Amino acid sequence: MSRSIFLGLLVYLLLLWGLASVRGELLALTAPLVLFLLIGFWRAPHEMKLDIQRTLSAERVAPGAPVTVTLTVTNRGATLDEVLLEDVLPPPLSVTDGSNRHLVHLPAGKSAAWTYTVSGPRGYYPLAEVRAEASDLFGLSRREGVLETSGQLFILPPILRLRHIPIRPRRTRVYAGSIPARAGGAGVDFFGVREYRDGDSPRAINWRVSARHTQALFANEYEQERVSDVGIVLDGRERTNHFGGGRSLFEHSVSAAAALADAFLNQGNRVGLLLYSNYLQWTLPGYGKLQRERILHTLSQAHAGPSQVFADLDHIPTKLFSAQSQIVVVSPLTADDLEVLIQLRARGYQVMVVSPDPVSFELQNLRPRAEVALAARVVRLERDLLLRRLQRAGIRILDWNVLQPFDQAMRRMTGRWHAGGAGW
Amino acid sequence: MVTTRFALFFCLLGAALSLAWGYFDVGLQGAVRWLIGLGALWAFALVRRWSWFSAPGFFASLAAAAAGLWLGLAPGWMLAGALFALLVWDLTDFERRLRLAAEGDDVNGLARVHLTRLSLVALIGFALASIAMIVRVQFSFEWAALMVLVAALGLSQLIGWMRRGQR
Repeated sequence: MSRSIFLGLLVYLLLLWGLASVRGELLALTAPLVLFLLIGFWRAPHEMKLDIQRTLSAERVAPGAPVTVTLTVTNRGATLDEVLLEDVLPPPLSVTDGSNRHLVHLPAGKSAAWTYTVSGPRGYYPLAEVRAEASDLFGLSRREGVLETSGQLFILPPILRLRHIPIRPRRTRVYAGSIPARAGGAGVDFFGVREYRDGDSPRAINWRVSARHTQALFANEYEQERVSDVGIVLDGRERTNHFGGGRSLFEHSVSAAAALADAFLNQGNRVGLLLYSNYLQWTLPGYGKLQRERILHTLSQAHAGPSQVFADLDHIPTKLFSAQSQIVVVSPLTADDLEVLIQLRARGYQVMVVSPDPVSFELQNLRPRAEVALAARVVRLERDLLLRRLQRAGIRILDWNVLQPFDQAMRRMTGRWHAGGAGW
Repeated sequence: MVTTRFALFFCLLGAALSLAWGYFDVGLQGAVRWLIGLGALWAFALVRRWSWFSAPGFFASLAAAAAGLWLGLAPGWMLAGALFALLVWDLTDFERRLRLAAEGDDVNGLARVHLTRLSLVALIGFALASIAMIVRVQFSFEWAALMVLVAALGLSQLIGWMRRGQR
């Protein structure tokens, strides 16, 4: 019950009692209460006209990094005796220093400013509202309002710098890059020998072959290096990412996708990102720093979720990816994904799978008992079998134990790929 | 915050003692015990920061004051008891609001302004009520009923108007 109504009811009761008992003292007792009510109402807050400005020390930060928020509130209306201002923070953003709530007396035309520090996990946080509750000095009448402001905070996934990732899609784009294009021309690696043409550098002449053929000269040809289209598929299915105790592999997948996107874009490739969760979110392919920002913004908002429709990888819209381009799937994988990935390979895509290892991830939090060890052995065998089948289908696999930093795991694996030759 | 808390307990003591003394004066020992008990319970609620208790506490104190006036007890003590109870009721809510303030807020400034205005209202209210009790004007019952009706309607209108304005 509102305080004013409560006090009003008490006044009525006293009036009635005084009237019924014909006692003037009872009527006189209402005098201080009525005065209290009247003064409260006289000082009741008028319509709030507040200008609010919010500045952030940074709009793009890493998870857990502190961001200083400065809020300046100017009263353009009548004096507010007491006003409680609260900068509405979307969860799980949390205040680490200061307070997002302030109780102030705000005279007409005056301003109040304060700063506080927030931090939080990866995510996109719109800071669009400030809640204001003004009341008279006795708290009898209140006026609440939500004031709209502008502001947003991107907490981006951490980006680990990766060295050159060797990929070799069947089709490349026309621009020069670092991916072998399966076509002769200017390059570094030997590609073949052809007849010498006008304009070729004399240094390109292969004298040994030319000596065997007295009719013509032959020149060395090198493999062209170009950029390629790379599509990154980030698996956000709940069934593959979530484990007991609310733990999730998804954060690891997101950081891997961010590192991969950054590395591919640094190599000059055209990169797109498909988030495959309880919805599909496609970031159109693009080049350079702007595309890096787009992908990071998408990743900052990505979350894993359950879906009946997208429970399997069957619904990956392959039309989004250029024909015979490179696809990188970041997924913990399940046995059901085998066929889909092999089909992708059969359609001419070069497929690479970065798979955060769910077995070792789950084992970290289980007690070392005989049953657990046995179960782990069984699922480990199943997973090894799945990965071996994928490898046999010509899919490159990075089986990533998330206890190890992704850049180290990637470096180790690319070393092995180099040692094993192209192989595809 | 400390000033508000001190004022709160001071007013509570004032409310309980004024009412108890008024009843004690005429030898109603049972009522005195009940009033002291109410004061102790209210103090306990304040210590535990049970803000909700202030409304029933105020209601009970006001009822005790009204009953005392009806029974013909000393009006000064009853009026003081009711007035102190009103202050406790108000300060409890004010303290609750102050708890929402951040560390750097000018809590002392807000408390100073609040206590000053509250003291003024209490003084003026006490004076008005005292004058009303001292100055006795003879009204017929019908005239008094009409005045009460007009006052009640005016107050209802005022509360309704204020509540509509808040939306």
